[in-house]
Amino acid sequence: MTSTDLARSTIVMVVVLAVQLTLLDSVRVAGAHPDAMLLLPVAAGYVAGPDRGAGFGFAAGLLADLFLPTTFGLSALVGCLLGYGTGMATRGLVRSSWWLPPIVAAGATSMGLALYAILGAVLGDPGMVTTSLAPALVVATPAAAVLATPVVRMVSWALPAMVSGHGAGIGSGAR
Amino acid sequence: MARTRRARRPRLTIGLLVLASITIITLDYRGDAHGVITSLKSAAHDAFSPVQRGVDDVTHPIGSFLAGAVNGGEIQQDNAELRQEVGRLQAQVLAHQATANAVKALDQLNNLTWTQGIPTKTAQVIALNPSNFAATIELGVGAHGGVAPGMPVVGGAGLVGEVISTTATTSTVRLITDAASAVGVRFGPDTADLALAQGDGIDKPLVVNFISPGTALHKGEVLTTSGLQNGLFPPLIPVARITTFRSAASATQESVTAAPVADLAQLEYVDVLQWTAPG
Repeated sequence: MTSTDLARSTIVMVVVLAVQLTLLDSVRVAGAHPDAMLLLPVAAGYVAGPDRGAGFGFAAGLLADLFLPTTFGLSALVGCLLGYGTGMATRGLVRSSWWLPPIVAAGATSMGLALYAILGAVLGDPGMVTTSLAPALVVATPAAAVLATPVVRMVSWALPAMVSGHGAGIGSGAR
Repeated sequence: MARTRRARRPRLTIGLLVLASITIITLDYRGDAHGVITSLKSAAHDAFSPVQRGVDDVTHPIGSFLAGAVNGGEIQQDNAELRQEVGRLQAQVLAHQATANAVKALDQLNNLTWTQGIPTKTAQVIALNPSNFAATIELGVGAHGGVAPGMPVVGGAGLVGEVISTTATTSTVRLITDAASAVGVRFGPDTADLALAQGDGIDKPLVVNFISPGTALHKGEVLTTSGLQNGLFPPLIPVARITTFRSAASATQESVTAAPVADLAQLEYVDVLQWTAPG
């Protein structure tokens, strides 16, 4: 990762965090809200592959953890796994369809939420699975599909495709 | 050979990152790095709280305009303050109902009204439920404003929750609807019956446990803090109103739910009771 990538990645993370804290947290339906910070690792894995997706997801998760009341490091763990998993799952796909990022975002977000809740339950808060997971899935999954295109475009700007990297035309589906 | 190395790199990266994450989680879980993590969170919150306040100032008038208000910002502010005042008055009525019952059973009782004699700090709510997995709010007042972990928070007509952490300028409050929240409550004609009101998730009613089958209950009955639990909360703060109750034939307790008397979805200003547990 170059210093330009690092600077751009930091800007994208901070902007998305600001949008999350100031706007998206207020958009509550059935007690849940969209989660753009969880979308960052998904977008990074999608546009930059498993390696950079994992690193980007870890950093974005750690930043999100600073503002969450849950166990510190939980979002970082879910973020790196989500970035890696999305990168691995999508690296053979042709990225020319506009509908691919929303579908990938919705699927990966639902898996990320489930993983987050299960890990939280393992760490002593069973309510994360029994009471919080269902509304979070119902609200955050479709919201991820809606937010996928702008977030993928932002991450594509921060992590431009490498020549030998994650396939040609990365992120083109969002353009 | 180079290709094999490239193929292995993602696995090495994810392995190292997972290891780092688990280490951080373990340190936080065990409390070994509590000071460092608290300092980091404090710095991040303090850096972002002006942004949150600034965007709030911008988005509130927009919301008011969309709702048809002309001078949105001022009206929003007035409404918030009036709601706070109405909430205080409602709370006094509820507290009087509860204390009237208590007076019948006790010759004298200190702290009859729940905020009398307790200094309060009014705080603006700057963020509602930042996580989908925990019912919490962020207040725009922190340690520098005299707020400390463990202090009860009231708003609207009753108990909102408890301060669980603070930074210099912000504080995090666990709402009574959080799944990890449990508040000892009392109710009944002489307020002698005790129960435990437990959170069941954001925007969901509280689940009231440990009420014996056959206990006389009625809808709308107010549950107030018990003052027990080693004094986690001062006594007689209105907590919730009973909404449903039923008793199954073989059940060991009544199945009771209760709605918080404070409107936790519409909080804009709250009062932090600068009260610490005795002992």
